[in-house]
Amino acid sequence: MERASLRINFILAALIVALAVLSLMVGPAGLSPRAAIAGLFSGEGPAGIIVREIRLPRTLLAGLIGATLGLSGAALQGLLRNPLAEPALFGAPQAAAAAAAAVIAFGFAPVTSFAVPVAGILGALVSIAGLVAIAGRRASLTVTLLAGLALASFAGSMTALILNLAPNPFIALEIAFWLLGSLEDRSTDHLVIATPFMIASWILLAANARAFRALTLGEDAAASLGVDVARTRMMVVTGVALGVGAAVAVAGAVGFVGLVAPHLLRRAVGSDPARVMLPATLAGAALVLAADVAIRLGPSAVEIKLGVVTALIGVPVFLAIIFRERRLLEGAPS
Amino acid sequence: MNEALTANGVSVRLGGATIVQGASFSLRAGELVALVGPNGAGKTTLMRALAGLVPAEGAIELGSNPLASMKPRERARHIAYLPQGHIFHWPMPVADIVMLGRAPHADPFSSTSPEDRAAVAHALATTETDVFAQRAVTTLSGGEKARVALARALATQAPVLLADEPTAALDPRHQLVVMELLRTAARGGNAILAILHDLTLAARFADRILVMDRGRIVADGSPDQSLAPERLATVFGIEAATVLVGDKHVPIAGRAL
Repeated sequence: MERASLRINFILAALIVALAVLSLMVGPAGLSPRAAIAGLFSGEGPAGIIVREIRLPRTLLAGLIGATLGLSGAALQGLLRNPLAEPALFGAPQAAAAAAAAVIAFGFAPVTSFAVPVAGILGALVSIAGLVAIAGRRASLTVTLLAGLALASFAGSMTALILNLAPNPFIALEIAFWLLGSLEDRSTDHLVIATPFMIASWILLAANARAFRALTLGEDAAASLGVDVARTRMMVVTGVALGVGAAVAVAGAVGFVGLVAPHLLRRAVGSDPARVMLPATLAGAALVLAADVAIRLGPSAVEIKLGVVTALIGVPVFLAIIFRERRLLEGAPS
Repeated sequence: MNEALTANGVSVRLGGATIVQGASFSLRAGELVALVGPNGAGKTTLMRALAGLVPAEGAIELGSNPLASMKPRERARHIAYLPQGHIFHWPMPVADIVMLGRAPHADPFSSTSPEDRAAVAHALATTETDVFAQRAVTTLSGGEKARVALARALATQAPVLLADEPTAALDPRHQLVVMELLRTAARGGNAILAILHDLTLAARFADRILVMDRGRIVADGSPDQSLAPERLATVFGIEAATVLVGDKHVPIAGRAL
């Protein structure tokens, strides 16, 4: 099984590199692979400017956001021992979206301004603080889930209220489109603000890989094996909020990646919740990169939004997995 | 005798109710002790307190170290705990599940050591789970899962093993298999405390029986002493007959009083 994991990780890494090169090539001005790579390294001429200034931040953000979503999904599924867990469970992405929407609506900041991701990340942080304040630092899983559900619903209704109160229909439309998720016109600034939060999230989540493995025996047995279950839960909730909050803050909502990425890999690398983490991270990056490339290959009159494409790709893949794994899923305890 | 675990005046309060009150007893190396009592007597709560999973008043000592002063991983190396129900959430291979028992010994920066692999191989062999070591644990029968759960606990090679209803939901043959395994582990030097509902199994296999009733330990002695007919009547509310199995007097529940 370990050699299978290694092979899968290698294949996924190669796929990410290929998709990243493709992502540097496609756009209104198509570039050959050689021109794109030459532009990337030299930074000279129109190709250099297009690749470095426009497509590189977009490509890196797609990869980082996808990786964060994939890892968050794998970590939450490990924590909750449930294959249906996904990053939106504790309300952080909804809070980030609500805060960003508020800035677009009332801060008079354009959609691509720096203030939007800053507000989004602050929103995600406030949601963690709220969760800890409501549920307590050593809360049980059920209380944490319920508090998260309440926060998610509250943030969702705040977004609805903001749309409702939007000063004019154009802003409402702008927010609605922003919420669908996009990486268009994202700059190095976005990369700079989101990356530290995403890396912090990876560290918090990866540090708990062994705890997720022990949790397959249930919380009591894991605790008896030396796992601090309450601390693990806090670290995972915080890690997911930081990473997914930052992702939503710069790109809007990109759904289904966190749910689907771990499922895509489970058959190949086994159900071990620790071993699924790296391949799910890589698969998440590949999924979002592929979706963002697909958008630019499509008809250019109206840009299809990233969150729409990930859902359109994600849902059929998810259905196919459910169909294939039907018997296993029915037999497995929830 | 070598005292592996000592409880002195242990009380546990949960949500304002006193679940365990002033429990005092000791568990020696090489000994299989049964903890029996009616539903709600506080057996599981006492065992979780001994495993360090719920805060307790009073003193619990492992060897000569207070449990409260130990770090979770250090505690986990000294006490293996087998919770009720044999839970396995993911369809992981049996060998990987048993390897989880080595988690308290694991170096966070390396993979499994030769000792880990030897301990796992030994646990798989003694529980006869080695034949399906590569199968997904969720595809096993109840009896097989019980043996895997026990193998996981044995793989830790902790001096103390706490097992909460290890024979629940097993057929008669597997109940005997699990009890034989526990006795073998005790003869090998482990101190074992097992919660049992089946008094005949307790009487046949335990060296000593603790009887719990409404949060208190009301008897601590040989099976004959602990399961005397008067006690079965007052604690369990049953009238029991006794049959001789080998050289042991084994109670059989007759009728509810």
